[in-house]
Amino acid sequence: MNIVLIFLITIFSVSLFFYGKSKTKTISIKDNIKLNALPKFYGYYLVLWCSIPALVFLLVWSLFEPVIIKSIIIETAANQGAILSDKNEANLIYEKIKAIHLGTYFGDIDSILRESAIAYAKFINLFTNSKVVLIFGIIIASVIYSLKKIKNNNKARDDVEVILKGLLFVSSLIAILTTLGIIFSLLFESIKFFSVINIFDYLFGTNWSPQRAFVRDASSITAAEFEELKDAFGFIPLIAGTSFIAFIAMLVAVPIGLFSGIYMAEYASIKVRRISKPIIEILAGIPTVVYGFFAALTVGPFFRQVGENLGLTVSSESALAAGLIMGIMIIPYVSSLSDDVINSVPQSLRDGSYAVGATKSETIKQVVIPAALPGIIGSVLLAISRAIGETMIVVMAAGLAANLTINPLESTTTITTQIVMILVGDQEFDSPKTQSAFALGLTLFIATLILNYIAQRAVKKYREKYD
Amino acid sequence: MSNVKIKSKNLNVYYGDKQALFDVNLDLNEKEVTALIGPSGCGKSTFIRCINRMNDVIDICKVTGNIEMDGLNINDKDLDVVSLRERVGMVFQKPNPFPKSIYDNISYGPKIHGKGETKSELDQIVENSLKKSALWEEVKDRLDEPGTSLSGGQQQRLCIARAISVNPEVILMDEPCSALDPIATAKIEELIDELKKTYTIVIVTHSMAQAVRVSQKTGFFHLGKLIEVGKTEKIFKNPDNKMTQDYITGRFG
Repeated sequence: MNIVLIFLITIFSVSLFFYGKSKTKTISIKDNIKLNALPKFYGYYLVLWCSIPALVFLLVWSLFEPVIIKSIIIETAANQGAILSDKNEANLIYEKIKAIHLGTYFGDIDSILRESAIAYAKFINLFTNSKVVLIFGIIIASVIYSLKKIKNNNKARDDVEVILKGLLFVSSLIAILTTLGIIFSLLFESIKFFSVINIFDYLFGTNWSPQRAFVRDASSITAAEFEELKDAFGFIPLIAGTSFIAFIAMLVAVPIGLFSGIYMAEYASIKVRRISKPIIEILAGIPTVVYGFFAALTVGPFFRQVGENLGLTVSSESALAAGLIMGIMIIPYVSSLSDDVINSVPQSLRDGSYAVGATKSETIKQVVIPAALPGIIGSVLLAISRAIGETMIVVMAAGLAANLTINPLESTTTITTQIVMILVGDQEFDSPKTQSAFALGLTLFIATLILNYIAQRAVKKYREKYD
Repeated sequence: MSNVKIKSKNLNVYYGDKQALFDVNLDLNEKEVTALIGPSGCGKSTFIRCINRMNDVIDICKVTGNIEMDGLNINDKDLDVVSLRERVGMVFQKPNPFPKSIYDNISYGPKIHGKGETKSELDQIVENSLKKSALWEEVKDRLDEPGTSLSGGQQQRLCIARAISVNPEVILMDEPCSALDPIATAKIEELIDELKKTYTIVIVTHSMAQAVRVSQKTGFFHLGKLIEVGKTEKIFKNPDNKMTQDYITGRFG
């Protein structure tokens, strides 16, 4: 039904565009007046007026219709004598009524259900009819209004600008609100988690084994169980593993990325640059899961083999393998960001250095890099926050056991891996185990937020210097 | 009559397919200021950039012909550019201090050439350079502040001090006052007058008045050719060439 309505609104709007265009043309010729805008703006004006109010109404209606019908039906069922002791039972009966209406219910139908289903059908009908009537009413009203406007030769160009500005504003509002929504849902679930587990036990605990809380409703945990749970959610091993792998990744990515950035910006001829820069950037386009199985199937076993030959015990899932591959994944970010930053150091500084007799490498080391340093730091920080948030590679190559270790040859785990592990498969939604994923997500979010903030400040400081 | 310091013979410069200089023959006298004038894009800057081989930085640039300094062939492929630039300093159109402290801006050159091995020697070089560029009194108490915090005129004098710091024989100035106000310009011109006692100076300028004020010799370039060269007084009072006459009286340019 909604699709048909949207289709009709679209067709109607498009035809109004041509109508508005030709109508204003005729008016201007017949009455010999100067239009306040080009005829096509009158067309746009009609289109916007015809479609936006109707579509907005349709959207709002579709959001609220099910909610309203549901509350009415549940009330009807209760009046019929259904016993609804809690929310779940009410939901269940509503789903049954809906299924009866659609003809997909195969259980016994008692009189309460039958009566309610009849009422449901009635309301659905009523709502749909009134929706269609109201939408056509709105379209007719807004079209009459806008037609009257254009007949009076309104300033259609300005009006269209205002409407478009409004549309763009709403779009950005949606972007911001959804982000806020995500943050708040993280926050609320985390608060639930922290009402069971003390935040200090979480932040400073050194043991991570959330399996202990499996299939446990938070409300039914006994005091003894609580004592045991207390030290099951220690964050330290996860942040240690995350930082450790990110550190290994940075050891790989920063020198190689920075040096290749310097080469690209300062030494490479235009021809070399034109070919190799896209190649490096292709590295950034490889899906991380591909890096992941490369790490898990090739690099991990290779390290184990080498380790065995040297008489070392290397786990086939190791921090080293994950960190190394993650570093390779990040190289293009560091390289292309630092390349850009170095390129934006003004040529005049290099000239000044050459003019006193400095060589190219002296100039780069003593003038170009110091001038570009804030930007380079910014790019490294962005790379770190990417490394911390990276999931697929560590899930596949670093392991799942939360070892608190600094041996890169052992398996370790990260925040993101644990979130995946916790949420994969069927989960009891209010067990502390599931909620701990939100707490982890929140912690991760705050950590990357801080890093990104510092990075942006650094980059901005750099920009101010030369603009 | 002073000695000739730099001598160019049939100097041609090409940027890719485009020829920027055509057979330039120009002698620059020792401890004198030579001004190069002419409309934009006429090759003045290209010419002075040949003297310290700054054109090397531009990939597509090709220089043919001969240019000598005290008998040394500057255009020699095997020439050590570092030691050439130690002898020929340069000041640019826009002040370009490094984003370092005032002290580090000056000590940069000497350090690169291994001059001033001890801290006190280096301090001395910095002080002398700043005194010679008439900036010492203004900055002596804040040598560790960034060079970019100075005013435009001070920055340009800092760049002159930077050029002087390695004790060159020649200083090239590429429109050094074009980004400065009249007062800062007057200071730089005064400074040039002082510096010519020690250094051979070549200055590219768009200001006729400046050329008259600071130079002893003037060369007029047009479309990559050196049209006329001679004593500044003669060029501005009684030029041989009609084109020079037209340019200095503002009939084209």
